[in-house]
Amino acid sequence: MFEKYRKKSPWILHYNAGSCNGCDIEILACLSPKYDLERFGVINTGNPKQSDIFLVTGPVTYRSRERLMELYNQMPNPKVVIAVGSCTCTGGVFRGMYNVEDGIDRYIPVDVYIPGCASSPELIMDGVVKGLEILETKQKVSDDK
Amino acid sequence: MEYLLILLAPIFGGLIYGMERVVRARMQNRVGPPILQPFYDMYKLFGKEPFMINNYHIVFAIMHLMTLWVAVGLVIFGANLLYVIFIHLLSSIFLVLAGYSVNSVYSHIGSNRELLSIVAYEPILIFVAVGFYILNSSFDIDIIRSQVSQVPQLVLLFLAFLLIIPIKLKKSPFDATEAHQEIVGGVEVEFSGVFFEILYMAKWIEYIFIYSILLLFAGDSFLYGGLIFLSVFFLVNLIDNSTARIKIEHLVKITLFIGLSLSVLNLVMLGV
Repeated sequence: MFEKYRKKSPWILHYNAGSCNGCDIEILACLSPKYDLERFGVINTGNPKQSDIFLVTGPVTYRSRERLMELYNQMPNPKVVIAVGSCTCTGGVFRGMYNVEDGIDRYIPVDVYIPGCASSPELIMDGVVKGLEILETKQKVSDDK
Repeated sequence: MEYLLILLAPIFGGLIYGMERVVRARMQNRVGPPILQPFYDMYKLFGKEPFMINNYHIVFAIMHLMTLWVAVGLVIFGANLLYVIFIHLLSSIFLVLAGYSVNSVYSHIGSNRELLSIVAYEPILIFVAVGFYILNSSFDIDIIRSQVSQVPQLVLLFLAFLLIIPIKLKKSPFDATEAHQEIVGGVEVEFSGVFFEILYMAKWIEYIFIYSILLLFAGDSFLYGGLIFLSVFFLVNLIDNSTARIKIEHLVKITLFIGLSLSVLNLVMLGV
């Protein structure tokens, strides 16, 4: 009966895995008055242990991959990973470089890919709302266990 | 009636917190979350996988919640104001101990800052109690609440109390104790899932505690109480929205210099 309220409180963890800051600025724009992601109950927590949605930007540099794994492991289930921007999905313009790992899906499972360089706020919001649906199904799966 | 109020205290606190998020959003020209958003958060946290660090961490958090609830209960029953303030101090100490019981740097910094903020606000709370004692020759909240409003005699103490409200409610410019961007929430950093709910609920009860102490200034008048509550609620959120965070040492200095001198001045005036 209360199932539909469960997805109304997604808390976001934002991690920059070597991004040029373009996508980070667009994520912050989503939280700003014009787009106002907080009306869906979103809080930008910054604490992996209390968050549900993992927003990653950047093409995972060699140095950042361990932190990426660490943050992912610290998040409690159910969780959703969203790759924001072309670099995060595939490596983008940095693909094949010696210090870049070509996207986060080589290390952690990704639920939503958001393309664009940089991704527009509308796309990011669309991706987060899509992520909420996936969060709901994951919750059901973990409830059944 | 009192028992019902005590049981429902967290729910009222959650509503105040929800209202606050809406008011803050409206001040920034945003739509903001629904008023029931804190309860949605609670419901979600039930379903999350809990990570337990150690037993003391959780036990201290539960003790923090319980002692805070007892303090609110004593205010509602009209007990001794000094007891209430010291039980509230005890609950803050439990929170500090919870922060120290884990091996996380951020948690330790949060506990240190929590202790420093106790140094800053506790003397003023006690001076407020002393001010009420001088006027009514009693610490009993029942007696204080049966008088007409004492703001005219205690105006400087009232201002000093306004100064410490942002510290307790973790609002800018005095929110260095939990500083979400620098120390990721301070004491609450290692709590997750169901265990974070304990702290989340304690936060709601803290709202009730602070605002119920504030209502003592209104005396027996409901109209005056409502007026003070609404204007202070609005003012605290306005200041929260319009100022940046200051360092913890500045917090202690500002609160002790301004707050303490205001309260001592008020006590001297009452003595004369």
